[in-house]
Amino acid sequence: MSELVTIYIDGQPYEVPKGANLVDVAKFYADNGIPVFCYHPKMEPVGMCRMCLVELGTIMRDRDSGEVITGENGEPQVRWFPKLQTACTTTVTDGMVVRTNTDAVIEARDDMIEFLLTSHPLDCPICDKGGECPLQNLTMAHGPGRSVFYWEDKVRLAKHVPLGELIYLDRERCIQCARCTRFQDEIVGDDVLAFHERGRELQIITVSDPPFDTYFSGNTTDICPVGALTTADFRFEARPWELKDIASLDVYGPEGANISLSTRLDRDAGGIVIIKRVMPRQNEAVNEIWISDKTRFGHHHTRAAERLTKPKVRVGDRLVEAEWDHALEVIRKHIKPNVSVGAIAGPTLSNEDLWELRKLAQAVNAGAKLSIYPATMTGGDIIAQVGVGVGTNFKDMGSGTTIVVVASDIEEEAPIWYLRTKVAGDRGAKILVLNARETRLDHYAADSIRYDYGAAVSAVNDLAKHEAVTNAENLVLICGAEGMTLEQHGELMNACANLLVSTGHVGRPNNGLLAVWEGANVQGAFDVGFSTEATAEMMAKVPDLLFIAGCDPIGESAEAAGLSKAKFIVVNSLFDTPTTAVADVVLPSQSFAERDGTFTSGERRVQRFYPAQGVIGQSQTDWRIFASIRNGLNGSAVQRLTAGVFKELAGEIAAYEGLTYPALAVVERQFPDVGGDDLYYGGTAYQNNGGLGVQYPATSEAEGAKPSKFATKGKKTSYKGLTAIPVNRLYDRGYLFKYSDELMQQRIGEPFVVINPADAANIAGGSRVGVTIDGVQYEALAVVSEDAPKGFVLMPKRLTSQPGPFAPAAIETIEVIAEPVGA
Amino acid sequence: MFSGFWMTIKHAFMDRPTISYPEERRPVHERFKGRHALKRYDNGLEKCIGCSLCAAACPADAIWVEAAENTDDERYSPGERYAKTYEINMLRCIFCGYCEDACPTEAIVLEHEYQLSFTNRRDAIYTKDMLIDNPPEGREGTPQTVEPGAFDRSIPDMENPK
Repeated sequence: MSELVTIYIDGQPYEVPKGANLVDVAKFYADNGIPVFCYHPKMEPVGMCRMCLVELGTIMRDRDSGEVITGENGEPQVRWFPKLQTACTTTVTDGMVVRTNTDAVIEARDDMIEFLLTSHPLDCPICDKGGECPLQNLTMAHGPGRSVFYWEDKVRLAKHVPLGELIYLDRERCIQCARCTRFQDEIVGDDVLAFHERGRELQIITVSDPPFDTYFSGNTTDICPVGALTTADFRFEARPWELKDIASLDVYGPEGANISLSTRLDRDAGGIVIIKRVMPRQNEAVNEIWISDKTRFGHHHTRAAERLTKPKVRVGDRLVEAEWDHALEVIRKHIKPNVSVGAIAGPTLSNEDLWELRKLAQAVNAGAKLSIYPATMTGGDIIAQVGVGVGTNFKDMGSGTTIVVVASDIEEEAPIWYLRTKVAGDRGAKILVLNARETRLDHYAADSIRYDYGAAVSAVNDLAKHEAVTNAENLVLICGAEGMTLEQHGELMNACANLLVSTGHVGRPNNGLLAVWEGANVQGAFDVGFSTEATAEMMAKVPDLLFIAGCDPIGESAEAAGLSKAKFIVVNSLFDTPTTAVADVVLPSQSFAERDGTFTSGERRVQRFYPAQGVIGQSQTDWRIFASIRNGLNGSAVQRLTAGVFKELAGEIAAYEGLTYPALAVVERQFPDVGGDDLYYGGTAYQNNGGLGVQYPATSEAEGAKPSKFATKGKKTSYKGLTAIPVNRLYDRGYLFKYSDELMQQRIGEPFVVINPADAANIAGGSRVGVTIDGVQYEALAVVSEDAPKGFVLMPKRLTSQPGPFAPAAIETIEVIAEPVGA
Repeated sequence: MFSGFWMTIKHAFMDRPTISYPEERRPVHERFKGRHALKRYDNGLEKCIGCSLCAAACPADAIWVEAAENTDDERYSPGERYAKTYEINMLRCIFCGYCEDACPTEAIVLEHEYQLSFTNRRDAIYTKDMLIDNPPEGREGTPQTVEPGAFDRSIPDMENPK
């Protein structure tokens, strides 16, 4: 879109990118909001609502000479379309002339609003959209003020139709713009919504079972230009003008999705400010304006009843509540100089927390082990070398780009990347999926390559000869760790890096490696000096003193059980978990909503989040807790502000050099301008006032950098007998998401395992089975399906009541506990 | 001097303007704006639908509303939404009546009660229980159990302009 053309809007000339949509251009360059309902800049225009009618013409040119034909007064002559045209279906061309304020246009808008309102109910006072509703705004701006239609002819329809558990439909309010159905079809690829009937009877219905079955349903409520679709979560919680939007970040995924927390005081929560809803915040380079339902509805853990409010100290075999001073004193007394120390950082700790944890651990013992939980993936250093180039944006990927997804069910692990990869595929990018089993992305893949679990490395090595890779102008590799041990994943990351380096796809935008980290700030943890190899070492040889923060290893992972052998364990936690149960001191930490900090996304974008919610009990931020303990040990200074900690960190970590809080908070105007406070397109809180973040460059981007070679052994592992493959599921019972409200608990569902029909000789689908691994029996629902390769059983992580395996594990037995209901 | 005495004598026999408040009270004008009341429909349901428009209109930020959802088993007001919390801070209120104007269901009305005194700030916050009218004679209060679908509209129906 670099070529510029001149168009005239209401007589003024504007230089605009050729081929852009007229509505977007008029809004962005001329600040002329042509009213729209059905048009949305993220979707194909359909011209259904007829609200954007304008007068359109082109400057006349002589056919032979190409000269502009001028009239008597020397003005260029314009050839007008005989009738009004829809601006949303028009792309700009050179010499286009647009009039948006003539009598004909104004009358057309008047009439369209009048038609739309013939059957729209007047329940704005109770509508969740009231106050940020495009229909309200455009009625005020363009409506006729009176109607010639009879009130008695108004159509009455159902007002309370649950489309699914999360979304309610009010049929009366719907203006049939088809934004929701188009979003599901075009962007997500789950065509679960559809129009039913025709004319006055036209209705939105859901065509899936269970209803509205998608991970992105919440986005339809954002783009709905009226209050027809509302979320069950926010229903009647507050009016939009009463909410205060605070910029924040998703705490669940590696994508670093930008969100706004809409907050308000709440009586039932004890008079503190709480999160009423989570809205996407526009960041065109990260999540555009989409977020997954987990991000949107998974905020209830921040004020769950189970939140810890006071420190706890072990007395005998019990943990008793204590004051902060006492708890810190107990810790100080137990720390002997130069004991072996380990620190385990969860994926939700901010960079500042990690930095202070590192300082604390190294203050006790310079050789402290700094480790990351979950220890399923490695290669943070590889990402720092050959990660995607600065300026990488899925939005720019189209024809000529190849996106390879290796060993990841990306829809479950990084839904925003799934969505953006899928849309890039629609634009012409080639998607290659390498996996041992079929995933959702295979539907959109140019080629699906199957390997056996344990043979991913050779599959990646073979890619070098693949036509989609050799012909690729740009190449992005997205690497997961499904069905791998930590060591195997290290090999895979090397193989991926090797492929990129050998084909020259490093060090520039839209090229490089992405890792589907299990959590929001795993990349930050690698950057600050933590590693997953240290976790593995620590599990083999447990140190005497252990700091665990922001995770629940003992409750989630079977491999972590040995950690309880440490002599003294300090746990920072939001909740009482199996990990806090073995701790000697438990310190209540704050959730992401109560504090500020920075996360580094999988794309190496450092982004800020801000305090939104009132503090629960006596909880403190993790970094302050670590700093207080360190201060108690050696009296070294404690920073007063999070910004100070970050400044210290940026001074020490080379990659973060030059980054400051103000730099991370810079916001530039984005095209299309969905996030304006005039609620132009969407009517929701997309506005980004918290900063776009800064992507720090990979080392391969430095001038004259020669990326090192990455060696792989290419060793295949073969599995004998039935093997359990732990897989990630978006809705799980992980450390934070477990404490969601009822709405999400229903979505998590009960534990299940997927068994290939060939392996399920005497197991019927739907029966309850006990899967025994390493002497532990896991009870789950059996799903018999080809989704699981022969010889393997897919076992979602963090669903079962006991901690499950995080690496492939041999299954001892599978026994049927109960036959399927009704069999 | 005599004219002066005359004035005194005349006034001594005139009607006294002072009344012995609080035993006696002066009548107020029909349009007098005193303490608010939340009204009910004749069937006992609350008129208030918890829309918060009064709070938005309030220039003194004296009103606090939190809404919740009605069900047919537990119905407070017609339609889907009702006010779970409704509070007015009488120390803040300036009795301007904007809330009355903003109300789409005529639920909040400034009545003639003007005797508002408190001994601490907390007492100045009038809760929903204190503001709401008693149910009409012979009608039950809220919540009520009603026929499914009988009250699905929040706002009373409009008519064509005459």
